[in-house]
Amino acid sequence: MHTRLRGTSLAALALAVVLTTACTKSREAPAATGTTGSTAGVRVSRIDMGRSLTADKMINDKTESFKPNDTIYASVLTEGAAATATLKARWTYQDGQAVTESTQTIAPTGDARTEFHISKPDGWPAGKYKLEVFLNDSSAATKDFEVQR
Amino acid sequence: MGIFDRNENNPPKSTPDFGNVKSGGSSTAPAPTDTIGSGKTYVVVEGDSLSKIAKREYGDANKWRAIYEANRDLIKDPDLIYPGQELKVP
Repeated sequence: MHTRLRGTSLAALALAVVLTTACTKSREAPAATGTTGSTAGVRVSRIDMGRSLTADKMINDKTESFKPNDTIYASVLTEGAAATATLKARWTYQDGQAVTESTQTIAPTGDARTEFHISKPDGWPAGKYKLEVFLNDSSAATKDFEVQR
Repeated sequence: MGIFDRNENNPPKSTPDFGNVKSGGSSTAPAPTDTIGSGKTYVVVEGDSLSKIAKREYGDANKWRAIYEANRDLIKDPDLIYPGQELKVP
């Protein structure tokens, strides 16, 4: 009797743990925003840089050398489809000083172009810069460029 | 080679201020429909403050409280945000 009660209690406890885990997972799922499975089919295939864009987010005048007063555009080509994917652009100066970061969350259905741009009202310091693009927090591509006076 | 030549070859290192950099982006891909809120996020970098982010995103530093309220789960003290934090921009 005692043993059977203990067995019943253990079974109830195990059931409670399973149910609690299931409930927790279902609540946490939206926060993940599909960063794993649903984005597995997307990849960054190319980054172009320049001073202006076309309407379909392609670079008009490709260059990796800019002037201090330029607005700097990067066009990131992705291939594949996903319910959601996050592209992050991290811009750094010289030996890694942070310039800025920005993020775009997209739901590509095939090839897509995502542009990021930066400007500085008082002009860019001359020197070497780097753009690193992350896809779902994993580094996907980098591009070096420079600003010359 | 004079002292001035040496200075020219080895200019003093200074750290530029990128606090007034404006950034943005857009895509030919549609935005996810099931994302909570607008889907726009901002990743905090060194030297940021809520008012700097508000100035950058809204053009008005006084709108920092909107960002603070949207991220109360992440920000305990509005004067303390950390590089790498991903903030919702309502």
